[in-house]
Order: sequence, then C-alpha cells, then structure tokens
Amino acid sequence: MHIPDGFIDGKTAAVTAVISAAGVGFALRQVRRELPPRRVPLLGLAAAFLFAAQMVNFPVAGGTSGHLVGGTLVAALLGPSAAVVVVTTVLIVQCFLFQDGGVLALGANVFNMAILNSVIGYMIYRVLCHWLTGIRGRVTAIAFAAWCATVLAAISCAGQLAWSGTIPWSVAFPAMATVHMFIGVGEGLISALVFLAVYRARPDLITETVLTGQPQRLGELVGYGLLVTLGVAVFVAPFACSWPDGLDSVADKFGFSHKMAPLLPAPAPNYQVPCIHWAVGATAVAGAAGSLIVFVLALLMGRWLVPKPKDL
Amino acid sequence: MNSAIEITNLKYRYHDGTEALCGVSFRVAPGECAALLGPNGSGKSTLLLHLNGILPEKLSGDGAVKVLGEPVTTKNLEPIRRQVGLVFQDPDDQLFCPTVQEDVAFGPQQLGLGDAEIAARVQKALAQVGLAGFGRRATHHLSHGEKRRVCLAGVLACEPAILVLDEPTSDLDPRGRREFKALLRQIPATKLIATHDLELVVELCSRAIVLDRGSVVADGPMFELLNDEKLMLEHGLERPHILRHQHPH
Amino acid sequence: MAGAQTEGPVSVHLVNHHHGWHDSPVHRLPAAPKLGVALVIIVATVLAPIQWKVLFIGVAVLLVLTAGLSQLPLFFLFRRLLVLSPFVLGVVLVNAFQPAGRDRWLAVAIKSVLCLLTVILISNTTPFSQILRVLKSIRVPALLITTLALMHRYLFVLMDESDRMRRARASRTFTRGRKFRWQTLATVVGQLFICASERAERIYDAMCARGWK
Repeated sequence: MHIPDGFIDGKTAAVTAVISAAGVGFALRQVRRELPPRRVPLLGLAAAFLFAAQMVNFPVAGGTSGHLVGGTLVAALLGPSAAVVVVTTVLIVQCFLFQDGGVLALGANVFNMAILNSVIGYMIYRVLCHWLTGIRGRVTAIAFAAWCATVLAAISCAGQLAWSGTIPWSVAFPAMATVHMFIGVGEGLISALVFLAVYRARPDLITETVLTGQPQRLGELVGYGLLVTLGVAVFVAPFACSWPDGLDSVADKFGFSHKMAPLLPAPAPNYQVPCIHWAVGATAVAGAAGSLIVFVLALLMGRWLVPKPKDL
Repeated sequence: MNSAIEITNLKYRYHDGTEALCGVSFRVAPGECAALLGPNGSGKSTLLLHLNGILPEKLSGDGAVKVLGEPVTTKNLEPIRRQVGLVFQDPDDQLFCPTVQEDVAFGPQQLGLGDAEIAARVQKALAQVGLAGFGRRATHHLSHGEKRRVCLAGVLACEPAILVLDEPTSDLDPRGRREFKALLRQIPATKLIATHDLELVVELCSRAIVLDRGSVVADGPMFELLNDEKLMLEHGLERPHILRHQHPH
Repeated sequence: MAGAQTEGPVSVHLVNHHHGWHDSPVHRLPAAPKLGVALVIIVATVLAPIQWKVLFIGVAVLLVLTAGLSQLPLFFLFRRLLVLSPFVLGVVLVNAFQPAGRDRWLAVAIKSVLCLLTVILISNTTPFSQILRVLKSIRVPALLITTLALMHRYLFVLMDESDRMRRARASRTFTRGRKFRWQTLATVVGQLFICASERAERIYDAMCARGWK
C-alpha cells in the first residue's frame, strides 16, 4: 500500500503532510510523557523488528505469500502512540533507503499505515477486549481489529488516489477494498498468531502494556479520533456520496426512480458503464457483511488457537 | 589499604525469585588485574552490572559495592560511571551508534567535553586499539573482532580508572584473541575480567576469583587457583594446558 | 554483506541497497544541498503539469548526468526502477478504459520514474547518518531521530537473527503442512519481538553505562 511519488498530486500531498505531521507530533508528545526512559530504545528496536517481520513470507497458495504489516500488532504490544512512531519510522526508512513509497507521498502513507491503521486497530482491539476476556478474547480482538484496520487503511488510500485524480473513486474503492478484505484476513491471522507466540513465551511483555491510567488514555484516543475523522472526512466522505449513485442505478434497474442530490459534487469523472457504479455500492454492502463474517471467523479462530480460556 | 573495588556481602535476586548472588565479598586492589571465573550461570555478568550501578534496579539493603572508596548509590551514579568502564558481552548491544566515530565519541560527549577534546580522545582511543582511521566506518559492517575493539575504544575514550570486561574474547578467532590480549596488557587501569578464556587469565591476571552458583568459592593468586585441578573441575572449569608446562616462581 | 546470498526472502531488500562505498563527486557532496536539490526536483516534477515537457526533459537529463557521475552500476539502477512496475501497471489497466486514460497514465509514469530515480541516487550516495543529521538541523524531534538511528543500526542485526531462527527451524521441520508452517513462522516472528525487546533493555544499560541520562 506504499504510494509512490507522482500518484498523488500536490494538494493531496500537502494536506496529508499537514495531518500526518500533526498526528506524529502528537504521538511523539504522548510517548515522551508516558514511556519510561528504559523503553526508549525499544521504539527503534521495534521498528527494526517490524521491518524484519514484514520480510517473512507466509506461504498462501502457488507462489503467493502473505506478509505482516503489523500496525495493529505493534499497537497492541506497545500502545497506540508508540505504534504511530514505530510505523512512521519504518515508513521513513523504507522510503529513503529502499524507495518503498514516495517522498511527497510520505504524508499519505504515514496517515494510512502509521496513524489510521495503528489507531483504529488499537481502538477496535481495546473495545473488543472489554467484552471478550482472557487471552482467547485478546487473540480474537487483535485478529478482527487488524482486519478492520487493513481495510480502512486501503479505503483511505483509495480516497487519496481518487482525490488526486489518478484513479477514479469508483474503480479505486472497489479494487482496494475488496483486495484488502482478503489481505486483511492474512494480516489478522498472522497478528493473532504472533501475539499468541509472544504471550506464550513472555506473558509479562503483554501484561506490561496494559493501560495504566484510563482518563489519560481517553484524552489520547480523543485526539487521535479527531485527526482520523478529519482525514476520513477529507479523503473518503466526498466520494461516499457516490454510493447513492451506485444504489441509484440498481434502483433504476428495478423501477424505482430515486434521485438524491449529493452533498458535495463527486470529483471523479463520470462513467457510462453502469456496472462500475454498481460495484461501489456492492463493495460497501460486501464490506459490512464481510465484517460480520470476519468477526465470527476471528471468534472461531480464537477458540481453536487457545484450547482453554486462561486468565490474563 | 585502599581498594579500587570493594564488594561486601552482595545479594541479588532475579525477577522470578531465583537467587543470582548469595552474599558475594571480595576486593580488588588498584592496578591489579583480577579474573572472575565460573561456569555458565554462576552470576558473573550479574555481578559485573553491579559495579556501575546498572543493577540493582532499586537499591535495597542487600550488601554494599564500593568503587574507589565511594559506595555505589543512586545519587553518585554519574561519577561512578565515569570511573568504571564496562565492556559488555555482546558488542552489538554496546555499539548502538551508526558510525565508529560517533560511537567512540558517545562517552566523551556525555561527559560534556568540548568538540576538540572529544575528537582528540576518539583518535587516541582508536589508535590504542589499533583501529586508527576507522572513524567513518559503519558499525554494522565491522567484523566481530573489530566490533569488540571499537567497544573497548568507546570505553577507553572516557579514561576510566577501572576497566570491567564481560567475556571479552569469546567468539574471537585465535588471532583476534591474541590481538585483544596484547591490547589489554598495555592498559594500566585496574582490570576485572569475567572470562572462560583461561589462557587469557594466565597471561594477564595475577589474581583469580571463582564464582559458582552466586557464591565466591575461591579467591587468591592466579597460579595457585588455576593449578588446583580439583577445584577447577569441581566448579565447571579445568586446569589450563598452558600451566602444565609452567611453574610459579 | 550478511544475508545477501541467502535464498530466503529476507535478502531481497538488502541486495537492493548498494553498500559499496564509491568515491565519486556525487558521494563527496555534503548531504544538505543534495537533499535540498532532490526535494526541489521532486516537488517540481509532481506539481508541474505534464504539458511542461521542457521541465521533464531537463530533469531527466540532470538525473542521467548525476547517475553517470555517481559511478553507480547501471544495471543496479535499472533494477531499482522496476519496483514501480506493479503500480504503473495498475494505473495503466485502470486508465486504459478511459478516454483521457492514455495521457493520464503516461503523466503518472513519467513523474514516478523521475522522482524514483532522484531518491535512488540520493539514497545510494548519502550515508543515512548524514541524512539524519540534516533532519536534526531542520528541527525534527530528537526522539524520532534517535528511533530512526536505532532502527537503521539494528535493522541488519535483526534480519540476521530472523534468518538464523528460520534456518534453525527449517532444519528441524519435516512436515510440509501449511498450517504448521504458519505456526512456526509466527513463533519465529514472536521470538524476534522478544529478542528485540530484550536487546533494547541491554542497549539502555549500555547507554547508561557510558553516562547517558
């Protein structure tokens, strides 16, 4: 999902850079306040770990293989702010040393993979941990959270590409979202397995990262929530109103004429091919249904991987 | 007699409760080169970490460590660390800077020295370990022997009075070991070396302290201890071959 | 370079970074102006409309000249450029169905290639520690710089550890089942995190031992 230079235009690059700088700055401030000095080197080492972990091939079928992206995993292990810093570090090194992702596109890549992925993944993980207890619950939570975070990051990426006019929304959204719904399954599974492996070998590393002060964390999450909402509002919302168009053509087909004026004019050029509009609406529906299916799968997987419920 | 290092009844427990050190006591005189011997798991590394206050994490009443007459407490860690140069077992843990120059300069920088003084110390330290001109090399590109020497240089650049080394010649090839031994011989500081390399002990150390399961089981002149085959075998060591052909004078 | 000859997947990115230290005029230039010029080139390339052909040709010529001066092997440069190919292909496919498609994908392709070549040249002629120093001078927060420095320093160490662990596991694996492989790989990755965590603590101790506060 690393966007190279040239795929997003100036205005998108500028806006994402500003939002990401604010997000990373906020994360750094949080880390400085919360992380004991003893764990400062852990940020750099976790970044090196993440990079090395991303290189590991998990064989799927034929010649294809899955890889860990790891934003949610790191957030579950180190907290959301540390995860933002760690993934940002990985992205910067990947950009400069390995040309994985463009320089001007750093803002977009950091927003999608460091901020959105880690924060949303963490939020969903924590919310689920409240309802599902024990290590089994955590394994389920991290699997589902990683899946959601992957899909949402992909949607944000699609939004940025569309806003730049590189790829129209009606193509980017279905393509990115559906592909990442599958990739996300691998991400969820790998995150869960790795989390479990860490727990089995060093359970103290897991409990160490349990939240200490709830109110403090709440403020942090509110801050991130605002940032993420802003980003989503800029990159996804303008296109979301093309969903009615997708549903429109379906409605037309079945004889109900139902015109809804879009809130904002959709910037993407219009297509004459109705099935592409339909794809957008269908993808949205599939996403909702898919979330439910994946959640159930995550529950089953948690049950399978952790034989008996253990108290954390 | 003033001791460089004075340890009295030192105790330490790991997080899981196992006793690592059960009342260790010994002294090292200034200028002496003492070897800390013992099988794996005897507590050597744990003991060394007490010498500059890294352990214990929280100071309790268990025993005392005095360096150059000063007790090691949370209040005087800075001056203690200036006087005690600790060379860690894994050079990759110690070489955390990207280039050799920056790593050797790290210590002097923390001491608050001026740029010119830092550069001078770095040059001197690198020359001392035979790596003059290595300043611009990247640390992760060095060979194992070179890494060990840069670690030593980094510690020498702080000009400590006491040099503490944890397994300095493990993983080195024979030439690396010879070169490192020659380096150590030239350093006048008080030395405490935890090692399995018995030949190093014979060549450099005048005194040996044997640690086993957290307790000092023997402490005395190196020749005497190392020649005591029964003692050596009992504590997971052996009488070094080099001594079979030598006699203490 | 450790890992560069293994058949494992870890080696791919290592081979893609040119470690040999050449002494070309480009290598010897100070980092700050190099980075500044590179940034200007990238911004200009991205912002300029595709109609400004002169600009793009000029940038291309400049980059080719720099590549020549830098003495970096051509084959290596070309292979690094190929990392763009999946994206370009994707955009091509998408825009192929559009009336204005061809022009659009050509514009994207040209801009990406020029920007990519700029970054390749910079990254292979400037040591990372110098790049970090420039970032420090533009007031990037110290915590981020430290994290970047430590990541870069321990990147290869951890990749070597990962290689070793996987080889050790593979030596004792006799089943071919995919589920078992996933379990094994996940255990290795988990172990890698634990190693990283423990090493971080030792590094902290080593930093304190030399007076870090």
